[in-house]
Amino acid sequence: MRVQLLYYPECPSHERALELLQEALQWEGVRVEVQVTRIETQGEAEAYRFIGSPTIRIEGQEIQPQPHLPFRLTCRTFIHEDGRLSPLPSLTTLREAVRNALNGGET
Amino acid sequence: MEIGHSAYDFSLLGVDGKTYTLKDFADKPVLVLFFWCNHCPYVKAYEDRVIRLAREFGDRVAFVAINSNDPNQYPEDDFENMKRIAQEKDYPFPYLYDESQSVAHAYKAARTPEFFVFDEERDLKYHGRFDDNWEHPNQVQKEYVRDAIVSLLNNDLPHHSSTPPVGCTIKWRH
Repeated sequence: MRVQLLYYPECPSHERALELLQEALQWEGVRVEVQVTRIETQGEAEAYRFIGSPTIRIEGQEIQPQPHLPFRLTCRTFIHEDGRLSPLPSLTTLREAVRNALNGGET
Repeated sequence: MEIGHSAYDFSLLGVDGKTYTLKDFADKPVLVLFFWCNHCPYVKAYEDRVIRLAREFGDRVAFVAINSNDPNQYPEDDFENMKRIAQEKDYPFPYLYDESQSVAHAYKAARTPEFFVFDEERDLKYHGRFDDNWEHPNQVQKEYVRDAIVSLLNNDLPHHSSTPPVGCTIKWRH
């Protein structure tokens, strides 16, 4: 399984995001090294199709895709199950994304 | 801005169409000025907490939100979206547009959200984050802005004068 975390270092959420992602992988029994990519310039944001930090892709699929947003250097908003807006995805969202990838993209 | 420094005056347009300066808040013994925006998830994470605090202390404390982000790069942060969000969330404080970014520069603000709490003489007594847990509101141990307000209303100094702000960077014009 290919798991990527892309981050903008000026946004402070990436370390916690990596912890949560690794926790989700562990819960789902997936042993894989997360590919971490640092995004520092607008050019890199465009090249990596990066809309904010953290961006997490599993098998190339974004968790909570937001295709209306431009590529840019900022923090990213995630929506939790209770409707709360957060700089981090919830563990539930991450685990669902991993399970979805394990099932070959079937929900 | 260093602790003890006087508040810089400003003249900024609010989402209610009025132009605000420091004098507009002179009747309140405490001023909480905070840099804010529409798109940052840290702002969104703190939005309800700040609104609650502003409602709780609104009769004695002036809360003032300022958005200095460049809307050309971040269209969600434009004035129209400021008006929409302030209305949707029923902000109990003025939400001001620092179009030139001169106020953010004067205060040496770097992030959203970032809080500055001033006493009656408008000297800075606290600068930094809102509390110690942006992720879990129910696990907050230290409410820095609340502590600063309560201390100043009791003619005491805040227990903490400075903490590192946590949030998005202010989006400067290029």
